[in-house]
Amino acid sequence: MKISRRNFGKKLGTLAVGFSAYISSHEKSYAAPQKSRIILTQSEKLKRSGYTLPKEIVSPFLDQAMMKLTQSSSPLHSWKSLFSPNEKVGIKLSCLPGIHLSSNTGLVMAIVDSLIACGLNPKNIYIWERTQRELETAGFSSKNFKCQVIGTDSGAGDGYLDNIEFAGSVGTRFSWIMEKVDALINVPVLKDHDLSGVSIGMKNFYGAIYNPNKYHRNNCNPYVAELNTHPLIKNKLRLIICDASRIQLNNGPAFYPQFAWEYGGLLIGTDPVALDYTGWQLIEKGRKNMNLKSLSEIGREPKYIASAASLGLGTNNDSLIIKNFTGVQGGVFLKEPPVRRTNE
Amino acid sequence: MNKKFNRRSFIKNSIAACSLCVSGAGSTFLFPASGKNPFAREAKYYEKQGEKKVTCKLCPHECRVADLERGTCGVRENNGGTYYTLVYGNPCSAHIDPIEKKPFFHYYPSSLAFSIATAGCNFICKFCQNWEISQKRPEQVTSAKMFPSTVIDYARQNNCKTVSHTYTEPVVFFEYVLDCAIEGKKRGVPNIMVSNGYIQEKPMRELCKYLGAVKIDLKAFTDKFYRDICGGELKPVLNTLTVLKQEKIWFEIVVLLIPTLNDGKEEIDAMTKWIAKELGPDVPLHFSRYYPTFMLKNIPPTPPDTLLRARKIAMNNGIKFVYVGNILSDAESTYCPSCGKLLIERMQFVAEIKGLKNNKCKYCNTLIPGVF
Repeated sequence: MKISRRNFGKKLGTLAVGFSAYISSHEKSYAAPQKSRIILTQSEKLKRSGYTLPKEIVSPFLDQAMMKLTQSSSPLHSWKSLFSPNEKVGIKLSCLPGIHLSSNTGLVMAIVDSLIACGLNPKNIYIWERTQRELETAGFSSKNFKCQVIGTDSGAGDGYLDNIEFAGSVGTRFSWIMEKVDALINVPVLKDHDLSGVSIGMKNFYGAIYNPNKYHRNNCNPYVAELNTHPLIKNKLRLIICDASRIQLNNGPAFYPQFAWEYGGLLIGTDPVALDYTGWQLIEKGRKNMNLKSLSEIGREPKYIASAASLGLGTNNDSLIIKNFTGVQGGVFLKEPPVRRTNE
Repeated sequence: MNKKFNRRSFIKNSIAACSLCVSGAGSTFLFPASGKNPFAREAKYYEKQGEKKVTCKLCPHECRVADLERGTCGVRENNGGTYYTLVYGNPCSAHIDPIEKKPFFHYYPSSLAFSIATAGCNFICKFCQNWEISQKRPEQVTSAKMFPSTVIDYARQNNCKTVSHTYTEPVVFFEYVLDCAIEGKKRGVPNIMVSNGYIQEKPMRELCKYLGAVKIDLKAFTDKFYRDICGGELKPVLNTLTVLKQEKIWFEIVVLLIPTLNDGKEEIDAMTKWIAKELGPDVPLHFSRYYPTFMLKNIPPTPPDTLLRARKIAMNNGIKFVYVGNILSDAESTYCPSCGKLLIERMQFVAEIKGLKNNKCKYCNTLIPGVF
């Protein structure tokens, strides 16, 4: 085909539009935001009394934090700025350690109420984990919630999508719920992890794949970071609400009361790297106060956080993270952790 | 037995109950709400560390596993500082196969093998043909209850000469393999293992006391391939091969040739020289054709010429019994290394003994290595 001047101009125009669309999508997908906002709210009231926190206590703190995060004038506006009424939303929990250290039922109830207040159909809200058994052990059952409470293992076959997906060096199959939903809210707990260093938000998506055991080498680095670059996570993750009511400072991911810090906090953000970084610093501070060595000193620095930053998933640059500390006690950041009861 | 509760025993029991409560044990596959997993057994090779951590000593990964976590294999779990296998007597696959399918060519040729596998593997080979069971956890597959004595019963009922632990990676269901092999040895049904050889020396030597034969998949002859494609290392596999030689157990080697990844002339030359020198020229060596699957779909199947070329290199390096697999060719059959006559004719999984009599070539009386 001959290229006429008109043709050439037309093609050039198309190319320019395409290129600008590419740049725009590229920026949207990969470029780290200039600054990331992380909200940390802490209060005596947010400490667990036993297993859980009543929804009525958590809700005002969650509302306040969400308004700060989204710079909105009301809780409703803040949730509406992130979620649309016609969307299906998955709430990914962390339930492995059992009821003492799982995502809190009261917190999750408050989240669900907020989504419903936004106009979402309860049938389109999925509270989920790897297995139904893990959910039940952590106190989550359909009887207690207005929406769906469902394990990946409740899906067809083994509950994972047939296609093998790749994200860097990670090859895996995702939970069927990851495909089903339009948006994700990640609700991890803040805890130490014997191999990865810490397990907060990004590591929680190991619970969304069928073969997490294959990716624990080398402090899970770069596997956690690479997994989070997959479009099913990167494009759907809207919000991370980390349950820091109780923080496991050592010997995680299982619950050990001698290393638990009754912190009474929530850590909220939209940047997965900034949130994990901030959570990690909090764990290090708690470890220091408990006379435990830092994670770097014992060869467990969560290097995957830096890897995630280098992959453009967010920022781990402390100066680029706007930390808002809120709470009924006037923005108290750290409460002294308990005196260490056993020797490490 | 009735036992009276005094104040001391009450306090003691209460403390024990409380410590169980906070261990979080109720949330695991090992201890489901309905009671203990019937297929869980304490693992054999591991070391207890402080703070309820364990280090697995079964395979060279030596996974350090925290409480409630699993090793790389996905079928061994730490619960409260005790390490468990979750798949004892719980195969997800059971079939009756010709032994040539394993492949074993010098071990009871033309016999049947009762073949079983549980979920799990300590590798993540990107070309795994059985990834739908090997790369899954036990709770992700449908499995049956089949304890060792039943396995041997089924083998005998179905005229199977052997029990084959195969399809996935028998190393990860070590305790089950071991007890099947012990039971089989007692009852005259030898157990054979089809493995990647990624196992520590001590457990391998223990298995050798009871197994009849072992087939090792030598994935490649470079550490890079093992690291990048399989998630392991070469050296421990070579060590396993030398252990098998020392233990005088019958073993054969399979190499799956994948274009551009492990089929270079130099690599085949180095590999077969090593085999001839360290293991001897009598070890049967099979070069198999790769087909695209699992995570490796962008490389076309191995050209037959590549397999035949590899066979030629191996034979030039002194290996006497070199076969090619997954293609139809004369190189599937066994020929006498002395007179060149046909001893066992094979076409895919069908074998017919033609020139073999009491382990010897019936034409020239040359001793043919193997168990016939």
